[in-house]
Amino acid sequence: MSDIPVPRAATEESRIVRLVLILLAVGGLAILVAAPLIAVFAQALSDGGRAAVASLAQPDAWEAIRLTLIVAAVSVPVNAIFGIAAAWAITKFDFPGKTVLITLIDLPFSVSPVVAGLCFVLLFGSHSLLGSWLIGNGYPIVFALPGIILATVFVTFPFVARELIPVMIEQGRAEEEAALTLGASGWRVLRTVTLPNIRWALLYGVLLCNARAMGEFGAVAVVSGKIRGETATMPITIEMMYNEYLSVAAFSMAALLALLALVTLAIKSLLEWRYADQLAATRRH
Amino acid sequence: MRIARSSPMPGFGLAMGITVTMLSLVVLLPIAALILQGASLGPSAWWAAVSSPRVAAALYLSFRLALFAALFNLVFGVLLAWVLVRYRFPGRKLIDAAVDLPFALPTAVAGIALTALYAPNGVLGAALPWKIAYTQWGIFVALVFVGLPFVTRTVQPVVEELDREVEEASASLGASRGMTLRRVVLPTLLPAALTGFALSLARAVGEYGSVIFIAGNIPLKTEIAPLLIVIRLEEFDIAGAAAIGLAMLAISFSMLFIINAVQIWSRRRIGLV
Repeated sequence: MSDIPVPRAATEESRIVRLVLILLAVGGLAILVAAPLIAVFAQALSDGGRAAVASLAQPDAWEAIRLTLIVAAVSVPVNAIFGIAAAWAITKFDFPGKTVLITLIDLPFSVSPVVAGLCFVLLFGSHSLLGSWLIGNGYPIVFALPGIILATVFVTFPFVARELIPVMIEQGRAEEEAALTLGASGWRVLRTVTLPNIRWALLYGVLLCNARAMGEFGAVAVVSGKIRGETATMPITIEMMYNEYLSVAAFSMAALLALLALVTLAIKSLLEWRYADQLAATRRH
Repeated sequence: MRIARSSPMPGFGLAMGITVTMLSLVVLLPIAALILQGASLGPSAWWAAVSSPRVAAALYLSFRLALFAALFNLVFGVLLAWVLVRYRFPGRKLIDAAVDLPFALPTAVAGIALTALYAPNGVLGAALPWKIAYTQWGIFVALVFVGLPFVTRTVQPVVEELDREVEEASASLGASRGMTLRRVVLPTLLPAALTGFALSLARAVGEYGSVIFIAGNIPLKTEIAPLLIVIRLEEFDIAGAAAIGLAMLAISFSMLFIINAVQIWSRRRIGLV
């Protein structure tokens, strides 16, 4: 320590202010974010690790995990294809109504998941014309797998498109145009020029989409009918077990989803640190 | 393709076809079903359904607590963005990554975790002098959790791009640090902060999964609007559910509209546009 105090830069807060702000930030996050995460694992392991694992081996739990994987396996690729198509149309062409289209793609973010589920019940439920016709022909949508997938696609709809559009705007059209003048077909341009350029942004969007798809609760709660062993996804099963006071079972399955969230965050951070220049939208989600 | 003639790129028809078809089938058609069902009730029946004490209380509760939570997140989010960009301290990167946890953690998991923490026998619930779980405070805590990352993530890039020279100019003209922050820095962050606030608010108004476990769900007191839709559906009261759903849709759309307008206004004011 020198006797003469070093003057702080004019663009810095005083030491004490900085310390207080850092403590507020760290303390706030510890209570708001870290504590719930720790609580999930603590509750899951409250009867020991063996009880937690045993609860996950129950047939209902197993069936829920299987169903959730199926839902994600269908809805995530569907949204990836939609995202690539939408980003291609929006960034490679000029047409009237582009802003409206982008706004409409973002629409599901401002609709409550429960309202989204309600929309599908109104459209495909047994009281509606379309619904009763479909059920009569043996294709029930609501209270069945198709409804769960539709609701999941709805709530995750903008994820991939929103990551790709800014990246593809930034990259421009020059590389694709060069490939075209050299005689490449449209599909070849997409496969060998565009997709390699957007691969990290695509992975980023798919990752977020998957986390949401596997964890969606509100919309699925409404359309699934919560039939045990049939339409109960992992989050729905957590609710059922919790309401039946099967605390360890509920928190064990919650811990499984929390692990998925942690893995998602880890890969996401890795992508942000390594490929920040190829992710235009890193900071938005 | 006539409308896209200016571009030599192939595939406009296919890409646009996939986009518009999926958008229509997955998003627009279901929303139209809700609007049609709501409209078929007629204005007076709709109003009667929405203004009944239980529904009005639920809508008011959802909206009010979402507003409080979004305001909390506005302040805390700006603070967090500032600390994460401007200060260096151990664990900063870990904390930066942790901000996104509420986006990645399923809402049902967050719901039971928060309930376990804040229930009267939970770690935080037992330590605090007043009741959190099964009161409106519990709903507030859950809504703060789900909306936490929005403001931080919209404000962070703006703080990164702030021009230090402007702050130096302000200081050299004799402004105190507090005055510089208040008069120079905060106005620049305002549009981004308002965007984050709007996103946080929209998310909180419709939030269901994280709230229902901790709320206690007492009609007229801690029953949120999305839960009431679920209850109406379980009673096979399709019309009643559609009436509340339409009201929520209208609230969130008009909220987004107002906040977009405010945002454009604040951008103009500081000369960004």
